[in-house]
Amino acid sequence: MISPNNYINKSALKKSYNEIKIDAPWIETQVITSSEPVSIKDIDNDIERELAFYKQALEGAIEGRKNVIASGVSFSRPDDYFAEMVKSDVHMTRIRQKLVNEEQSIKASEEARRLRELKKFGKKIQVEKIQERQKKKKEELEKIKVMKKKRKGVEDTALDDDFDIALEQAAADDRPKKKQKTGKNGKRVNKDARYGFGGKKRYSKSNTADSSADFLSQFDPKNDKSFGGRKALMANKKRKFTKKRPGKTRRKSARNKK
Amino acid sequence: MATIYKLAKAQKDEDSDDHEEKETLKNKQRVLALSSRGVNYRQRHLLNDLRALLPHFKKDSKLDQKCKLGIINELAELNNCNNCIFFEVRKRQDLYMWTSKTPNGPSIKFHVLNIHTMDELKMTGNCLKGSRPILSFDKTFDSEPHWTLIKEVFINIFGVPKSARRIKPFVDHVISFTIADNRIWFRNFQIIEKDPMEPNKKPDDKDLSLVEIGPRFVLNVIRIFEGSFCGSTIYANPEFVSPNQVRRNFRMAKAARHQARMVAKEEKRRKVANSDLPDDPLTLSDFSDISNFSD
Repeated sequence: MISPNNYINKSALKKSYNEIKIDAPWIETQVITSSEPVSIKDIDNDIERELAFYKQALEGAIEGRKNVIASGVSFSRPDDYFAEMVKSDVHMTRIRQKLVNEEQSIKASEEARRLRELKKFGKKIQVEKIQERQKKKKEELEKIKVMKKKRKGVEDTALDDDFDIALEQAAADDRPKKKQKTGKNGKRVNKDARYGFGGKKRYSKSNTADSSADFLSQFDPKNDKSFGGRKALMANKKRKFTKKRPGKTRRKSARNKK
Repeated sequence: MATIYKLAKAQKDEDSDDHEEKETLKNKQRVLALSSRGVNYRQRHLLNDLRALLPHFKKDSKLDQKCKLGIINELAELNNCNNCIFFEVRKRQDLYMWTSKTPNGPSIKFHVLNIHTMDELKMTGNCLKGSRPILSFDKTFDSEPHWTLIKEVFINIFGVPKSARRIKPFVDHVISFTIADNRIWFRNFQIIEKDPMEPNKKPDDKDLSLVEIGPRFVLNVIRIFEGSFCGSTIYANPEFVSPNQVRRNFRMAKAARHQARMVAKEEKRRKVANSDLPDDPLTLSDFSDISNFSD
Protein backbone atom coordinates (compact mmCIF):
# COMPACT_ATOMS: atom_id res chain seq x y z
CA MET A 1 0.00 0.00 0.00
CA ILE A 2 2.86 2.35 0.67
CA SER A 3 3.87 3.99 -2.58
CA PRO A 4 7.64 4.16 -3.16
CA ASN A 5 9.21 7.49 -2.26
CA ASN A 6 10.05 8.38 -5.79
CA TYR A 7 6.53 8.91 -7.05
CA ILE A 8 5.42 11.60 -9.49
CA ASN A 9 2.05 11.55 -11.20
CA LYS A 10 2.38 14.31 -13.75
CA SER A 11 -1.10 14.11 -15.21
CA ALA A 12 -2.74 14.33 -11.81
CA LEU A 13 -0.51 17.28 -10.94
CA LYS A 14 -1.55 19.07 -14.10
CA LYS A 15 -5.20 18.30 -13.47
CA SER A 16 -5.08 19.71 -9.95
CA TYR A 17 -3.27 22.75 -11.20
CA ASN A 18 -5.93 23.47 -13.76
CA GLU A 19 -8.60 23.12 -11.12
CA ILE A 20 -7.17 25.69 -8.75
CA LYS A 21 -5.77 28.15 -11.24
CA ILE A 22 -6.86 31.75 -10.76
CA ASP A 23 -7.82 33.50 -14.00
CA ALA A 24 -7.97 37.09 -12.87
CA PRO A 25 -6.24 40.27 -13.98
CA TRP A 26 -2.78 40.82 -12.56
CA ILE A 27 -3.83 43.26 -9.88
CA GLU A 28 -5.88 40.60 -8.11
CA THR A 29 -2.93 38.41 -7.27
CA GLN A 30 0.12 40.64 -7.84
CA VAL A 31 2.46 37.84 -8.82
CA ILE A 32 5.82 38.47 -10.44
CA THR A 33 8.04 35.67 -11.69
CA SER A 34 11.74 36.34 -11.85
CA SER A 35 13.26 36.63 -15.31
CA GLU A 36 16.08 34.19 -14.58
CA PRO A 37 16.03 31.10 -12.41
CA VAL A 38 17.91 31.81 -9.21
CA SER A 39 21.03 29.71 -8.85
CA ILE A 40 23.05 29.70 -5.65
CA LYS A 41 26.38 27.93 -5.88
CA ASP A 42 27.06 27.51 -2.17
CA ILE A 43 23.99 27.23 -0.01
CA ASP A 44 25.96 27.63 3.20
CA ASN A 45 27.47 30.96 2.22
CA ASP A 46 24.99 33.24 3.99
CA ILE A 47 25.93 36.44 2.21
CA GLU A 48 25.67 34.97 -1.26
CA ARG A 49 22.38 33.30 -0.51
CA GLU A 50 20.71 36.31 1.04
CA LEU A 51 22.00 38.48 -1.78
CA ALA A 52 20.36 36.17 -4.31
CA PHE A 53 17.06 36.36 -2.45
CA TYR A 54 17.36 40.14 -2.19
CA LYS A 55 17.98 40.49 -5.91
CA GLN A 56 15.00 38.36 -6.79
CA ALA A 57 12.73 40.27 -4.44
CA LEU A 58 14.04 43.63 -5.68
CA GLU A 59 13.35 42.67 -9.27
CA GLY A 60 9.87 41.59 -8.25
CA ALA A 61 9.31 44.86 -6.41
CA ILE A 62 10.38 47.00 -9.37
CA GLU A 63 8.25 45.09 -11.85
CA GLY A 64 5.34 44.98 -9.44
CA ARG A 65 5.53 48.71 -8.87
CA LYS A 66 5.28 49.35 -12.59
CA ASN A 67 2.31 47.06 -12.93
CA VAL A 68 0.52 48.46 -9.89
CA ILE A 69 0.86 52.01 -11.14
CA ALA A 70 -0.25 50.90 -14.59
CA SER A 71 -3.37 49.35 -13.08
CA GLY A 72 -4.22 52.63 -11.44
CA VAL A 73 -3.84 51.54 -7.83
CA SER A 74 -1.87 53.83 -5.55
CA PHE A 75 1.50 52.39 -4.64
CA SER A 76 3.31 54.73 -2.28
CA ARG A 77 2.08 55.52 1.17
CA PRO A 78 1.83 59.30 1.75
CA ASP A 79 3.70 60.71 4.71
CA ASP A 80 0.62 61.69 6.62
CA TYR A 81 -1.09 58.30 6.39
CA PHE A 82 -0.97 56.71 9.84
CA ALA A 83 -2.32 53.25 10.37
CA GLU A 84 -1.60 50.16 12.39
CA MET A 85 1.70 48.60 11.44
CA VAL A 86 2.69 45.00 11.69
CA LYS A 87 5.32 45.71 14.35
CA SER A 88 4.37 47.93 17.26
CA ASP A 89 6.06 51.26 17.94
CA VAL A 90 7.56 49.92 21.15
CA HIS A 91 9.26 47.16 19.21
CA MET A 92 10.59 49.58 16.62
CA THR A 93 12.11 51.80 19.31
CA ARG A 94 13.84 48.76 20.76
CA ILE A 95 15.31 47.95 17.35
CA ARG A 96 16.44 51.52 16.92
CA GLN A 97 17.97 51.53 20.39
CA LYS A 98 19.93 48.39 19.58
CA LEU A 99 21.31 49.95 16.40
CA VAL A 100 22.28 53.09 18.28
CA ASN A 101 24.01 51.02 20.96
CA GLU A 102 25.96 49.12 18.34
CA GLU A 103 27.13 52.35 16.73
CA GLN A 104 28.14 53.78 20.07
CA SER A 105 30.12 50.71 21.03
CA ILE A 106 31.97 50.81 17.71
CA LYS A 107 32.78 54.49 18.25
CA ALA A 108 33.92 53.87 21.81
CA SER A 109 36.23 51.06 20.77
CA GLU A 110 37.68 53.25 17.99
CA GLU A 111 38.26 56.05 20.46
CA ALA A 112 39.94 53.68 22.90
CA ARG A 113 42.19 52.35 20.16
CA ARG A 114 43.13 55.87 19.14
CA LEU A 115 44.01 56.80 22.70
CA ARG A 116 46.05 53.65 23.09
CA GLU A 117 48.04 54.45 19.99
CA LEU A 118 48.50 57.99 21.18
CA LYS A 119 49.72 56.75 24.51
CA LYS A 120 52.28 54.54 22.84
CA PHE A 121 53.34 57.43 20.72
CA GLY A 122 53.44 59.68 23.79
CA LYS A 123 55.54 57.13 25.65
CA LYS A 124 57.98 57.08 22.77
CA ILE A 125 58.25 60.85 22.90
CA GLN A 126 58.73 60.79 26.67
CA VAL A 127 61.58 58.29 26.39
CA GLU A 128 63.18 60.42 23.71
CA LYS A 129 62.90 63.50 25.89
CA ILE A 130 64.51 61.77 28.85
CA GLN A 131 67.37 60.60 26.69
CA GLU A 132 67.78 64.10 25.32
CA ARG A 133 67.92 65.54 28.79
CA GLN A 134 70.51 63.00 29.86
CA LYS A 135 72.57 63.80 26.83
CA LYS A 136 72.33 67.50 27.61
CA LYS A 137 73.34 66.90 31.19
CA LYS A 138 76.38 64.96 30.04
CA GLU A 139 77.32 67.74 27.69
CA GLU A 140 76.90 70.36 30.39
CA LEU A 141 79.06 68.35 32.79
CA GLU A 142 81.74 67.97 30.17
CA LYS A 143 81.58 71.68 29.49
CA ILE A 144 81.93 72.35 33.20
CA LYS A 145 84.92 70.01 33.41
CA VAL A 146 86.53 71.71 30.49
CA MET A 147 85.90 75.14 31.94
CA LYS A 148 87.13 74.02 35.33
CA LYS A 149 90.30 72.80 33.74
CA LYS A 150 90.68 76.10 31.97
CA ARG A 151 89.99 78.16 35.05
CA LYS A 152 92.05 75.95 37.33
CA GLY A 153 94.52 78.65 37.86
CA VAL A 154 92.06 81.57 38.19
CA GLU A 155 90.26 81.84 41.53
CA ASP A 156 86.76 83.22 40.83
CA THR A 157 84.23 82.85 43.62
CA ALA A 158 81.39 84.49 41.74
CA LEU A 159 81.59 82.04 38.90
CA ASP A 160 81.68 79.11 41.34
CA ASP A 161 78.21 80.00 42.60
CA ASP A 162 76.89 80.09 39.09
CA PHE A 163 78.31 76.67 38.43
CA ASP A 164 76.72 75.29 41.58
CA ILE A 165 73.35 76.76 40.68
CA ALA A 166 73.65 75.45 37.15
CA LEU A 167 74.56 71.98 38.45
CA GLU A 168 71.66 71.97 40.88
CA GLN A 169 69.20 72.90 38.21
CA ALA A 170 70.57 70.28 35.89
CA ALA A 171 70.19 67.68 38.60
CA ALA A 172 66.71 68.77 39.66
CA ASP A 173 64.65 68.52 36.49
CA ASP A 174 65.89 65.08 35.46
CA ARG A 175 64.01 62.88 37.87
CA PRO A 176 60.41 62.36 36.74
CA LYS A 177 57.67 62.39 39.39
CA LYS A 178 56.84 59.01 40.82
CA LYS A 179 53.18 57.93 40.59
CA GLN A 180 51.59 56.71 43.78
CA LYS A 181 50.58 53.04 43.71
CA THR A 182 47.41 52.75 45.74
CA GLY A 183 44.06 51.19 45.44
CA LYS A 184 43.28 47.50 45.62
CA ASN A 185 45.00 44.75 43.77
CA GLY A 186 43.11 43.51 40.66
CA LYS A 187 42.90 40.04 42.13
CA ARG A 188 41.36 41.42 45.32
CA VAL A 189 38.77 43.38 43.33
CA ASN A 190 37.64 40.31 41.43
CA LYS A 191 37.41 38.16 44.53
CA ASP A 192 35.33 40.79 46.27
CA ALA A 193 32.93 40.98 43.37
CA ARG A 194 32.43 37.23 43.34
CA TYR A 195 32.40 36.26 46.99
CA GLY A 196 31.98 39.54 48.82
CA PHE A 197 28.99 40.76 50.75
CA GLY A 198 26.88 43.86 50.69
CA GLY A 199 25.30 45.61 47.73
CA LYS A 200 21.92 44.67 46.20
CA LYS A 201 20.59 41.57 47.86
CA ARG A 202 18.96 39.14 45.57
CA TYR A 203 19.41 39.29 41.87
CA SER A 204 22.94 40.65 41.51
CA LYS A 205 24.24 37.40 40.07
CA SER A 206 21.24 36.44 37.87
CA ASN A 207 20.38 37.41 34.32
CA THR A 208 18.16 40.27 33.23
CA ALA A 209 16.40 40.59 29.86
CA ASP A 210 19.24 42.69 28.55
CA SER A 211 21.99 40.43 29.70
CA SER A 212 20.40 37.26 28.33
CA ALA A 213 19.68 38.86 24.95
CA ASP A 214 23.25 40.07 24.84
CA PHE A 215 25.18 37.42 22.91
CA LEU A 216 28.36 39.15 21.82
CA SER A 217 29.59 40.62 25.09
CA GLN A 218 31.12 37.32 26.22
CA PHE A 219 33.62 37.57 23.36
CA ASP A 220 34.56 41.13 24.21
CA PRO A 221 37.99 41.16 25.89
CA LYS A 222 36.79 44.00 28.08
CA ASN A 223 34.66 41.51 30.04
CA ASP A 224 37.46 39.03 30.64
CA LYS A 225 37.29 38.22 34.33
CA SER A 226 40.47 36.14 34.68
CA PHE A 227 41.97 36.71 38.06
CA GLY A 228 44.75 39.20 38.52
CA GLY A 229 44.15 40.23 34.93
CA ARG A 230 45.50 43.43 33.53
CA LYS A 231 42.01 44.77 32.78
CA ALA A 232 40.87 44.55 36.38
CA LEU A 233 44.06 46.21 37.47
CA MET A 234 43.62 49.06 35.02
CA ALA A 235 39.99 49.50 36.04
CA ASN A 236 41.10 49.68 39.59
CA LYS A 237 43.88 52.13 38.91
CA LYS A 238 41.33 54.56 37.51
CA ARG A 239 40.26 55.32 41.06
CA LYS A 240 41.34 58.55 42.51
CA PHE A 241 44.93 58.52 43.63
CA THR A 242 44.91 59.11 47.33
CA LYS A 243 47.68 61.19 48.70
CA LYS A 244 50.26 59.47 50.80
CA ARG A 245 50.27 60.55 54.44
CA PRO A 246 52.81 63.37 54.81
CA GLY A 247 55.82 62.98 57.09
CA LYS A 248 56.15 64.20 60.72
CA THR A 249 57.75 67.54 59.95
CA ARG A 250 55.23 68.34 57.23
CA ARG A 251 52.29 67.51 59.49
CA LYS A 252 53.76 69.58 62.25
CA SER A 253 54.29 72.60 60.02
CA ALA A 254 50.72 72.26 58.71
CA ARG A 255 49.38 72.16 62.24
CA ASN A 256 51.46 75.18 63.21
CA LYS A 257 50.26 77.08 60.18
CA LYS A 258 46.66 76.53 61.24
CA MET B 1 -38.89 34.54 -36.64
CA ALA B 2 -35.29 34.27 -37.57
CA THR B 3 -34.58 37.84 -36.59
CA ILE B 4 -36.41 37.45 -33.27
CA TYR B 5 -34.46 34.27 -32.64
CA LYS B 6 -31.22 36.00 -33.55
CA LEU B 7 -31.97 38.96 -31.29
CA ALA B 8 -32.84 36.67 -28.39
CA LYS B 9 -29.67 34.64 -28.89
CA ALA B 10 -27.50 37.78 -29.07
CA GLN B 11 -28.96 39.01 -25.81
CA LYS B 12 -28.37 35.64 -24.13
CA ASP B 13 -24.76 35.64 -25.31
CA GLU B 14 -24.22 39.09 -23.92
CA ASP B 15 -25.63 38.08 -20.57
CA SER B 16 -23.48 35.00 -20.33
CA ASP B 17 -20.38 37.01 -21.32
CA ASP B 18 -21.06 39.47 -18.52
CA HIS B 19 -21.54 36.63 -16.11
CA GLU B 20 -18.24 35.01 -17.05
CA GLU B 21 -16.39 38.29 -16.76
CA LYS B 22 -17.78 38.84 -13.30
CA GLU B 23 -16.70 35.37 -12.23
CA THR B 24 -13.12 35.69 -13.45
CA LEU B 25 -12.67 39.16 -11.97
CA LYS B 26 -13.34 38.14 -8.39
CA ASN B 27 -10.68 36.34 -6.46
CA LYS B 28 -12.20 35.22 -3.20
CA GLN B 29 -9.88 33.46 -0.82
CA ARG B 30 -10.11 32.95 2.90
CA VAL B 31 -7.54 30.92 4.76
CA LEU B 32 -8.10 28.99 7.94
CA ALA B 33 -4.95 29.00 10.07
CA LEU B 34 -4.63 26.58 12.94
CA SER B 35 -2.14 24.44 14.75
CA SER B 36 -2.12 21.21 16.67
CA ARG B 37 -1.44 20.93 20.37
CA GLY B 38 2.12 20.89 21.68
CA VAL B 39 3.30 23.81 19.60
CA ASN B 40 6.24 25.72 21.03
CA TYR B 41 6.72 29.45 21.28
CA ARG B 42 8.64 29.95 18.07
CA GLN B 43 6.06 28.11 15.98
CA ARG B 44 3.19 29.87 17.69
CA HIS B 45 4.82 33.23 16.99
CA LEU B 46 5.32 32.24 13.38
CA LEU B 47 1.63 31.54 12.99
CA ASN B 48 0.76 34.82 14.64
CA ASP B 49 3.17 36.68 12.38
CA LEU B 50 1.54 35.18 9.29
CA ARG B 51 -1.84 36.20 10.65
CA ALA B 52 -0.68 39.76 11.21
CA LEU B 53 0.74 40.04 7.72
CA LEU B 54 -2.15 38.53 5.80
CA PRO B 55 -5.58 39.91 6.63
CA HIS B 56 -7.57 37.13 4.99
CA PHE B 57 -6.38 34.56 7.52
CA LYS B 58 -8.88 33.30 10.07
CA LYS B 59 -7.41 31.86 13.23
CA ASP B 60 -9.01 28.90 14.90
CA SER B 61 -8.36 27.12 18.16
CA LYS B 62 -5.88 24.25 18.47
CA LEU B 63 -6.81 20.94 16.99
CA ASP B 64 -6.73 17.98 19.35
CA GLN B 65 -6.37 15.18 16.86
CA LYS B 66 -3.40 14.29 14.79
CA CYS B 67 -4.69 11.30 12.89
CA LYS B 68 -8.11 12.00 11.37
CA LEU B 69 -7.31 15.31 9.75
CA GLY B 70 -10.43 15.20 7.60
CA ILE B 71 -12.16 17.14 10.33
CA ILE B 72 -10.26 20.21 9.19
CA ASN B 73 -12.30 20.25 6.01
CA GLU B 74 -15.43 20.62 8.07
CA LEU B 75 -13.90 23.34 10.20
CA ALA B 76 -13.02 25.25 7.06
CA GLU B 77 -16.57 24.84 5.82
CA LEU B 78 -17.88 26.20 9.10
CA ASN B 79 -15.63 29.22 8.92
CA ASN B 80 -16.42 29.87 5.28
CA CYS B 81 -12.82 29.37 4.20
CA ASN B 82 -11.60 27.78 1.01
CA ASN B 83 -7.94 27.35 2.00
CA CYS B 84 -6.20 26.05 5.04
CA ILE B 85 -2.81 26.20 6.70
CA PHE B 86 -2.31 23.63 9.44
CA PHE B 87 0.77 23.50 11.66
CA GLU B 88 1.30 19.97 12.86
CA VAL B 89 3.87 19.55 15.62
CA ARG B 90 5.38 16.15 16.37
CA LYS B 91 7.44 15.33 19.47
CA ARG B 92 7.32 19.02 20.41
CA GLN B 93 10.18 19.55 18.00
CA ASP B 94 9.36 18.98 14.36
CA LEU B 95 7.00 21.35 12.62
CA TYR B 96 5.09 20.12 9.59
CA MET B 97 2.97 22.56 7.60
CA TRP B 98 -0.06 21.41 5.60
CA THR B 99 -1.44 23.76 2.96
CA SER B 100 -4.60 22.78 1.18
CA LYS B 101 -7.51 24.00 -0.84
CA THR B 102 -10.22 22.75 1.40
CA PRO B 103 -13.22 21.23 -0.22
CA ASN B 104 -11.52 18.86 -2.65
CA GLY B 105 -8.37 20.56 -3.83
CA PRO B 106 -4.81 19.30 -3.49
CA SER B 107 -3.01 19.40 -0.17
CA ILE B 108 0.72 19.64 0.38
CA LYS B 109 2.73 18.61 3.42
CA PHE B 110 5.99 20.46 4.16
CA HIS B 111 8.67 20.18 6.81
CA VAL B 112 9.46 23.64 8.21
CA LEU B 113 13.01 24.55 9.18
CA ASN B 114 15.08 27.58 10.19
CA ILE B 115 12.23 29.60 11.64
CA HIS B 116 12.99 33.23 12.43
CA THR B 117 10.05 35.30 13.66
CA MET B 118 9.37 39.00 13.19
CA ASP B 119 10.37 39.70 16.79
CA GLU B 120 14.06 39.28 16.13
CA LEU B 121 15.86 42.56 16.49
CA LYS B 122 17.97 42.07 13.39
CA MET B 123 14.90 42.45 11.16
CA THR B 124 14.38 46.14 11.02
CA GLY B 125 11.61 46.58 8.45
CA ASN B 126 7.98 47.36 9.12
CA CYS B 127 4.86 47.51 6.95
CA LEU B 128 1.18 48.32 7.12
CA LYS B 129 -0.93 45.68 8.77
CA GLY B 130 -3.09 44.34 5.97
CA SER B 131 -1.44 45.82 2.92
CA ARG B 132 -1.53 43.56 -0.12
CA PRO B 133 1.87 42.09 -0.89
CA ILE B 134 3.64 41.63 -4.19
CA LEU B 135 4.51 37.96 -4.57
CA SER B 136 7.85 37.25 -6.19
CA PHE B 137 8.50 33.70 -7.41
CA ASP B 138 11.66 32.13 -8.72
CA LYS B 139 11.57 31.07 -12.35
CA THR B 140 12.42 27.54 -11.25
CA PHE B 141 8.80 27.23 -10.18
CA ASP B 142 7.81 26.99 -13.85
CA SER B 143 10.16 24.17 -14.67
CA GLU B 144 8.48 21.14 -13.07
CA PRO B 145 4.75 20.36 -12.72
CA HIS B 146 4.95 19.83 -8.95
CA TRP B 147 6.63 23.23 -8.47
CA THR B 148 3.94 24.83 -10.62
CA LEU B 149 1.24 23.32 -8.46
CA ILE B 150 2.96 24.48 -5.29
CA LYS B 151 3.29 27.97 -6.79
CA GLU B 152 -0.42 28.08 -7.54
CA VAL B 153 -1.34 26.96 -4.03
CA PHE B 154 0.92 29.68 -2.61
CA ILE B 155 -0.71 32.29 -4.84
CA ASN B 156 -4.05 31.22 -3.49
CA ILE B 157 -2.93 31.38 0.10
CA PHE B 158 -0.42 34.22 0.30
CA GLY B 159 -1.97 36.47 -2.30
CA VAL B 160 -4.38 38.77 -0.52
CA PRO B 161 -7.57 39.20 -2.56
CA LYS B 162 -8.90 42.65 -3.24
CA SER B 163 -12.17 41.80 -1.58
CA ALA B 164 -10.66 40.94 1.82
CA ARG B 165 -11.98 42.86 4.75
CA ARG B 166 -9.04 44.34 6.61
CA ILE B 167 -6.88 45.46 3.72
CA LYS B 168 -5.03 48.76 3.41
CA PRO B 169 -4.85 50.55 0.07
CA PHE B 170 -1.08 50.81 -0.48
CA VAL B 171 1.55 48.29 -1.44
CA ASP B 172 4.62 48.30 0.74
CA HIS B 173 5.96 44.80 1.05
CA VAL B 174 7.08 41.99 -1.18
CA ILE B 175 7.10 38.31 -0.27
CA SER B 176 9.65 36.21 -2.11
CA PHE B 177 9.76 32.45 -2.65
CA THR B 178 13.01 31.00 -3.93
CA ILE B 179 14.00 27.44 -4.67
CA ALA B 180 17.49 26.55 -3.48
CA ASP B 181 18.90 23.19 -2.50
CA ASN B 182 15.54 21.63 -3.44
CA ARG B 183 13.80 23.59 -0.70
CA ILE B 184 11.59 26.68 -0.72
CA TRP B 185 12.95 29.75 1.08
CA PHE B 186 10.43 32.33 2.28
CA ARG B 187 11.44 35.98 2.78
CA ASN B 188 9.40 39.10 3.46
CA PHE B 189 10.79 42.54 2.61
CA GLN B 190 9.60 46.10 3.09
CA ILE B 191 9.84 48.31 0.01
CA ILE B 192 11.49 51.65 0.65
CA GLU B 193 11.00 54.07 -2.18
CA LYS B 194 12.73 57.20 -1.07
CA ASP B 195 16.36 57.84 -1.57
CA PRO B 196 17.68 58.61 1.91
CA MET B 197 19.98 61.31 0.53
CA GLU B 198 17.29 63.34 -1.18
CA PRO B 199 13.99 63.09 0.67
CA ASN B 200 12.11 65.44 -1.61
CA LYS B 201 12.94 63.79 -4.89
CA LYS B 202 10.08 62.01 -6.61
CA PRO B 203 10.55 58.25 -6.19
CA ASP B 204 11.96 56.47 -9.18
CA ASP B 205 12.39 52.84 -10.14
CA LYS B 206 16.10 53.01 -9.40
CA ASP B 207 15.63 54.25 -5.84
CA LEU B 208 13.81 51.20 -4.53
CA SER B 209 15.49 49.34 -1.70
CA LEU B 210 14.38 46.50 0.50
CA VAL B 211 14.60 45.93 4.24
CA GLU B 212 13.70 42.59 5.76
CA ILE B 213 10.63 42.50 7.95
CA GLY B 214 10.47 38.80 8.72
CA PRO B 215 9.39 36.12 9.37
CA ARG B 216 11.63 33.76 7.46
CA PHE B 217 11.51 30.00 7.14
CA VAL B 218 12.48 27.14 4.86
CA LEU B 219 10.04 24.56 3.50
CA ASN B 220 10.98 21.05 2.46
CA VAL B 221 8.26 19.35 0.36
CA ILE B 222 7.30 15.91 1.63
CA ARG B 223 4.21 14.86 -0.31
CA ILE B 224 1.38 16.26 -2.41
CA PHE B 225 -2.01 14.60 -2.04
CA GLU B 226 -4.86 14.72 -4.48
CA GLY B 227 -7.55 15.50 -1.94
CA SER B 228 -7.61 17.84 1.00
CA PHE B 229 -5.93 15.98 3.88
CA CYS B 230 -6.77 12.73 2.16
CA GLY B 231 -6.56 11.15 -1.25
CA SER B 232 -3.80 9.49 -3.19
CA THR B 233 -0.27 10.75 -3.38
CA ILE B 234 0.43 12.56 -6.59
CA TYR B 235 3.97 13.60 -5.70
CA ALA B 236 6.49 12.36 -3.16
CA ASN B 237 9.85 14.00 -2.69
CA PRO B 238 12.58 11.41 -3.18
CA GLU B 239 15.17 13.38 -1.25
CA PHE B 240 13.18 13.90 1.91
CA VAL B 241 14.53 12.26 5.06
CA SER B 242 12.25 12.52 8.05
CA PRO B 243 13.75 14.25 11.08
CA ASN B 244 13.23 11.10 13.13
CA GLN B 245 15.30 9.21 10.60
CA VAL B 246 18.02 11.85 10.79
CA ARG B 247 18.19 11.58 14.56
CA ARG B 248 18.11 7.80 14.36
CA ASN B 249 20.97 7.74 11.86
CA PHE B 250 23.05 9.92 14.12
CA ARG B 251 22.44 7.68 17.11
CA MET B 252 23.14 4.53 15.09
CA ALA B 253 26.41 5.99 13.86
CA LYS B 254 27.40 6.76 17.42
CA ALA B 255 26.45 3.23 18.53
CA ALA B 256 28.32 1.73 15.58
CA ARG B 257 31.47 3.58 16.57
CA HIS B 258 31.17 2.32 20.12
CA GLN B 259 30.50 -1.21 18.90
CA ALA B 260 33.53 -1.12 16.60
CA ARG B 261 35.69 0.02 19.46
CA MET B 262 34.48 -2.80 21.73
CA VAL B 263 35.09 -5.41 19.02
CA ALA B 264 38.59 -4.10 18.41
CA LYS B 265 39.32 -4.23 22.10
CA GLU B 266 38.15 -7.84 22.32
CA GLU B 267 40.27 -8.74 19.28
CA LYS B 268 43.32 -7.25 20.86
CA ARG B 269 42.77 -9.08 24.11
CA ARG B 270 42.37 -12.38 22.30
CA LYS B 271 45.45 -11.77 20.20
CA VAL B 272 47.54 -10.99 23.24
CA ALA B 273 46.26 -14.04 25.10
CA ASN B 274 46.89 -16.37 22.16
CA SER B 275 50.31 -15.06 21.32
CA ASP B 276 53.38 -16.89 22.50
CA LEU B 277 55.36 -14.06 23.92
CA PRO B 278 58.17 -14.79 26.37
CA ASP B 279 57.46 -13.73 29.93
CA ASP B 280 58.30 -10.13 30.50
CA PRO B 281 60.58 -9.95 33.54
CA LEU B 282 59.14 -6.55 34.50
CA THR B 283 55.45 -7.54 34.92
CA LEU B 284 54.18 -9.19 38.06
CA SER B 285 53.45 -12.87 37.66
CA ASP B 286 50.04 -12.56 39.42
CA PHE B 287 48.36 -10.70 36.55
CA SER B 288 49.22 -13.24 33.92
CA ASP B 289 46.61 -15.63 35.34
CA ILE B 290 43.61 -13.41 34.76
CA SER B 291 42.49 -14.14 31.20
CA ASN B 292 39.00 -12.74 31.11
CA PHE B 293 38.30 -9.14 32.11
CA SER B 294 34.71 -9.00 30.88
CA ASP B 295 32.28 -11.36 32.48
